[in-house]
Amino acid sequence: MNERQTFLRRLKAGLKGMPRSAVADIVADYDSHFEAGQAAGRSEAEVAARLGDPTRLARELQAEAGLRRWEDERSMAAALGVIVGVLGLAALDLFIVLPLLTAAVASVFSFFVAGLAICLSGSVMLPFALITNLPGFAGDRLQAGLLSLGLASGGASLVAVCILFTIGLVNVLARYGRAHYRLIAPQPSV
Amino acid sequence: MDPNLVQFKKGVLELCVLALLSQADSYGYDIASRLADAIDMGEGTIYPLMRRMQKDGMVSTYLVESASGPPRKYYRLTASGRDSLNAQKAAWTDFTRSVAAVLEQHQEKTP
Repeated sequence: MNERQTFLRRLKAGLKGMPRSAVADIVADYDSHFEAGQAAGRSEAEVAARLGDPTRLARELQAEAGLRRWEDERSMAAALGVIVGVLGLAALDLFIVLPLLTAAVASVFSFFVAGLAICLSGSVMLPFALITNLPGFAGDRLQAGLLSLGLASGGASLVAVCILFTIGLVNVLARYGRAHYRLIAPQPSV
Repeated sequence: MDPNLVQFKKGVLELCVLALLSQADSYGYDIASRLADAIDMGEGTIYPLMRRMQKDGMVSTYLVESASGPPRKYYRLTASGRDSLNAQKAAWTDFTRSVAAVLEQHQEKTP
């Protein structure tokens, strides 16, 4: 296996998940870089060494594509793209920030799930409370109804807060990613 | 490499590419190898940058047949790329002048 094929194969592997046409475009860019390098009298190994680590390049390209998408459309999938993209990059050189970020994402997610569950159970309890009172509940039907309403709206606001927090977090991540990965990694020490 | 230096270079890479393309259209390998010599960067990072600049409308591309191998993708500066170059150049010149002035004062105080 020669250097050129190894480089392109690792690059392609790192770009998995991107649209096929985008991957083909990117791979073509680097392929012609090898072509031009050899025309200029460099060996494949030399060209590959000067290009840098293909895995890292692939993550930069992925993160860039994710950020771009988040700026175009504020959707759930785009937000997920930013989180995965920046985390992927951070995994390469930010071992300190990574656990913090992962913890933040995980706790927001669990609050989100908890909020959803509370809201749902409140909504399910409400009709029962109003019609027959809750089984095993000491108060009267009004109290049971208010309790269910409280659970439903409390859960809903927890979910809303989580969504707001997530949007904020993704924006911070996007800004962070832009600042740190607007290219140029120092010459790889080979 | 000094980490400060990496940050500085990151900031001016786009400006350098714009300046290079304002002299003549060029292709990826040529841009990368010339900048790599000038500011000592990893050559592979030029392509994510070119991709972003193309999406931002600062450069456009066209293909040129080459004597050896497949056609080459050339980059050309667009009108908005030229505007961006002028703006960034002015900002850079202002900034470096102010920094130089501050450093000079510092030197006078601590001989």
